[in-house]
Amino acid sequence: MLKTPHWEMMIVWYFFLGGIAGGAYFTAAVADAFGTARDRAVARIGYLVALPLVVICGALLIADLGVPMRFLNMLGTFKFWDPMSIGAWALGVFGLFTFASALLSFSPSPPAVAWRRKIGLVGIFFGFFLASYTGVLISNTALPFWSEGRLMGALFLASGASTGMATIALILFLTGGAGGEGWRKVKQADRYAIGFELCVLALFLVLLGSAAAPLLGGRLAVLFWGGLVVVGLAVPLALELVAHRTAALGAVSAVLVLVGGFVLRYVVVMSIQT
Amino acid sequence: MARTLAMFTDTSLCIGCRACQVACKQWNELGAEAPEWTGTYQNHAHFTDQTFRLVRFVEEPKPSGDLAWLLMSDVCKHCAQAGCLEACPTGAIYRTEFGTVDINQDVCNGCRYCVASCPFGVVHFDDGSGTARKCTFCNDRIHNGLGPACAKACPTDSIQFGFRDELVAKAGKRVETLKGMGFKEAQLYGADTGGFLGGLNAFFLLLSKPSTYNLPEHPRLPQRNVVVDSLLSIGSALVVGLGAIVSFRSRGKGDGDA
Ligand code: SF4
Ligand code: SF4
Repeated sequence: MLKTPHWEMMIVWYFFLGGIAGGAYFTAAVADAFGTARDRAVARIGYLVALPLVVICGALLIADLGVPMRFLNMLGTFKFWDPMSIGAWALGVFGLFTFASALLSFSPSPPAVAWRRKIGLVGIFFGFFLASYTGVLISNTALPFWSEGRLMGALFLASGASTGMATIALILFLTGGAGGEGWRKVKQADRYAIGFELCVLALFLVLLGSAAAPLLGGRLAVLFWGGLVVVGLAVPLALELVAHRTAALGAVSAVLVLVGGFVLRYVVVMSIQT
Repeated sequence: MARTLAMFTDTSLCIGCRACQVACKQWNELGAEAPEWTGTYQNHAHFTDQTFRLVRFVEEPKPSGDLAWLLMSDVCKHCAQAGCLEACPTGAIYRTEFGTVDINQDVCNGCRYCVASCPFGVVHFDDGSGTARKCTFCNDRIHNGLGPACAKACPTDSIQFGFRDELVAKAGKRVETLKGMGFKEAQLYGADTGGFLGGLNAFFLLLSKPSTYNLPEHPRLPQRNVVVDSLLSIGSALVVGLGAIVSFRSRGKGDGDA
């Protein structure tokens, strides 16, 4: 008889927001390095979104321990093969990157821009790490549903990237930037990400085989199919393909992507709890 | 490293008296818990933060229609390759010089990763202390020349304590004896250091197949896939990254197709 770790809502939020932070930062850094000057808004939003999210992530992680000071015990050790150990370190390092990038995003001076681009390209690594290590972490436990699929990290990463892009798109929409060049590019990137995530998810379920039972046969099966597969992936992808010129529908699809991202973390974490 | 110590639990000798369970509680000052109805004499259903030794009462249907009554005093296996130890991010879980696995309660930060990483579901989170707890192999006792409290208390020598190599040899002979007596399924669980998890330092003699006792037939180290999973994540990052680069580049000049 295996035991579950009783990771609950705080961890669901941590997985979800960490994914957005990593994805938004990555999108920002790509826009910064490969886009035009008109993509600056995308870059700045991405950097500025990532920073507070990383802070919240750290707070969630610490709060989940019960005795906050004990978080320091984690920093007395560095086990490079242990996702939980490097994850704590990577979160801190990524925090420094988001801080530097967010700060530099306010300066139009060429040296600041040049530095920001370089920092962003390195920071992508830590952002992606934050988005995906949580999947690798749970897929290296003794619990079959978490550990038999092999693609949990890859799936979390795709979802993190997609939700990060959706967050940027949504902020663009709310601040009147919808319809512009940056908006269209983010939307295009998100289309690819959603499509890719669907493929990874399908492959993941195949690899899981019978170990998917807690998900597909459990009390959260309806939420999984309805909330993630349909509402969180298929509908937004359809909206993007059919109506991506309509800004309002683009915003709707971004909201649905965020819902899907949350549902993914929720069903993965909670369907294992007894 | 000192010579590896071990506990050998010979379930064929167990009479289900639970002296070990009580001795463990007394020595380790573990609290009483409300009994639960498990359908058999067994209490509790599983290890808890206050129950490190647990006598299992297993009823196995025999071909004749009768039930075989199997008793087994279960405990942390002190695995040579321990999932809990690999998972622990603080280093609270450590291996002693005797080969046993212990949790330093002052270092544990309550992350509960070990709880999900034990292939046997041994570690339990203690809400009171906010730390993970499990059998310590009576770390304090073995460092003072005493055997674990459970082994000391066991009236039938179902739990034996000693050097691992000597106990394994003894256990092998015992299996032969039992087989000669007609217990065809008698077998050792975790005695072989070349077998699963590098061998268990608390190993068992079972009278039926492991699954009868709710033990996994082939427990595996949970951390065996870290590298593969990480590589697949990197692959995923490359695909997503490529999609984004294409998107931001494709309309780099002018207003694009709108
Ligand atoms: S049985 Fe579980 S708790 Fe005991 S050493 Fe092995 S992995 Fe750790
Ligand atoms: S709960 Fe304590 S012992 Fe278990 S992995 Fe976390 S820090 Fe280590």
